[in-house]
Amino acid sequence: MANQANPRLMLAILAAVFAFLYVPISVLVALSFNDGGLPTAWTGFSVKWYGELVRNQAIMSAALNTLIVAVVSTVMATLFGTLLAIGVEIRRRKGRFLETIIFAPMIIPDIVLAIALLSFFSMLNVTMGLHTVILSHVVFNLAFVCSVVRARLKTFDWSIVEASADLGATTAITLLRIVIPVMMPAIIAGALLAFTLSVDEFIIAFFTAGAGRASTTLPMQIFAMIRFGVTPEINALATLIMAFSVIALSLSQRLNRGGLPGQ
Amino acid sequence: MTNALLSLKDIRKYYGKARAVEHMDLDIRQNEFFALLGASGSGKTTLLRMMAGFETPTSGQILLDGEDISHLPPNKRPVNLMFQSYALFPHMTVVQNIAYGLEMDRLPRAQIKTRVDEMLEIIQLTHLARRKPDQLSGGQQQRVALGRALVKRPRLLLLDEPLGALDKKLRGEMQMELKRIQAEFGITFVIVTHDQEEALVMADRIAILKDGALLQCGSPHEIYEHPGSRYAADFIGEMNFLSGTADADGLRTSDGHRIMAQTPDGFAPGDDVSIAIRPERLKIGDGFDNTITGRAVAMAYLGLDLQLHLQTDLAPQPLLVRLTAEDVDTARLSEGDTVTVGWSAKDTRVFKA
Repeated sequence: MANQANPRLMLAILAAVFAFLYVPISVLVALSFNDGGLPTAWTGFSVKWYGELVRNQAIMSAALNTLIVAVVSTVMATLFGTLLAIGVEIRRRKGRFLETIIFAPMIIPDIVLAIALLSFFSMLNVTMGLHTVILSHVVFNLAFVCSVVRARLKTFDWSIVEASADLGATTAITLLRIVIPVMMPAIIAGALLAFTLSVDEFIIAFFTAGAGRASTTLPMQIFAMIRFGVTPEINALATLIMAFSVIALSLSQRLNRGGLPGQ
Repeated sequence: MTNALLSLKDIRKYYGKARAVEHMDLDIRQNEFFALLGASGSGKTTLLRMMAGFETPTSGQILLDGEDISHLPPNKRPVNLMFQSYALFPHMTVVQNIAYGLEMDRLPRAQIKTRVDEMLEIIQLTHLARRKPDQLSGGQQQRVALGRALVKRPRLLLLDEPLGALDKKLRGEMQMELKRIQAEFGITFVIVTHDQEEALVMADRIAILKDGALLQCGSPHEIYEHPGSRYAADFIGEMNFLSGTADADGLRTSDGHRIMAQTPDGFAPGDDVSIAIRPERLKIGDGFDNTITGRAVAMAYLGLDLQLHLQTDLAPQPLLVRLTAEDVDTARLSEGDTVTVGWSAKDTRVFKA
């Protein structure tokens, strides 16, 4: 590009883009600390909506459900996703390839996956509840964990696996003492990503949770509340979820870039 | 051979239709330092990986102490490999890397510690025992890789281009170091290398491989002085080649010069031959079986000796002559001089062209 653009103009465009992205979020965060509770007027700083939030029984039970779904589906997806990634990479190295099929749950629109899972569970006559939400989250989380771990495996030095065998280790010991420890940053990164995705996933949970309040997750609860207007508690809740997601995601990215922090 | 530690019996290895190793018979003796020497694609690494257990031969047998190990997996063989890339475990310290193989043998903790400490002394890394591999220099990593393989006291230690990644000076030191360690431990070493000088310096015996087949196997002296083929003669050391023919009473170069040699067998009159002379066998003077006069077109000073390029009418390319510093002093040579050199008939080598 011979013709250099005006640096001031570029800066202004950049500022506009960031404003578009982050002003709504900033407003939300600010309103969650607004004493008055009305989105139209600032009446002073307060954390009272956070207090209201904690006292709201429906929100708290939904938050617990979300936590259960996220933790269990993350653990399962991380375990199987890691093994899947290692297996696929070994087969790829031998020239037998089945990559695309694994990543389908990542690419298929959530609504399609949600309908498919709903039909599938109905067909099998499974009573829906938190367990079906967990299984459904494992489906797409598996693909995400697998893809994160595989990305790291592409630069994995397979000669250390041979070295381990040469020194007398069985395949299982090599997996436990060499492959998994070396891959650990990528595995944790995949798990954090899966956890974050699971916490704010709505459509699939909505379709597969079945009837009744017992298996309502946090996004479903917010959706239900928002039909009667945005209450300040929701601002507080959204702020908390966002803070949590940002921390988890940045940790995940940092882990996948280098070694464990502090090493 | 009865004292063979490792015997390869008619080993063949194919990848699909591609031949990697063909009809290989080789005996490696107890306690020897054995080199597999060849250019890339000669099959030397495939052969080493079959000894380690990472490849299985398509046909043939690998015997260790007379026992067939051809199909034993690597973790069941009393054989260890030092990898070309070192393949150190990046998440483990030097100590943990070295202890790993002993832990796999389920040795008692105290014994593992003694043997690891001993090995750290030998490879002179005691002071860096708590470092991770990425905090070590190339030479230090190389010693960890050696220590990790050696600490298991294998019957056979395989080394895949062990000095390839080191600079020239360090390589020279490590060659001597490897020889010392090999003698001290009394373990049989098999080294793969493409560096003929390295093979000559270190090995008790050398096998020259070409296109998956064994070309020649013998001591460095045998291989250097009596190469079995033109390829071997060219591959090992420096060599002057003249093209010529055999006739009823000896050898003749293409443009008619008679070359004296010690009765080469197996040539019929009219056969095309390749006549070879080592540069250090050429001497200044005319009192030899063969003499030739030429013009010194280039001289290179190499410290201990001097390399002279002598343009003669024996061959289109100049003859390479290696002279000692003493020769040069006496002859007072300079570029452009006319020089007569000669060599004895017993130093002429003849190969099928």
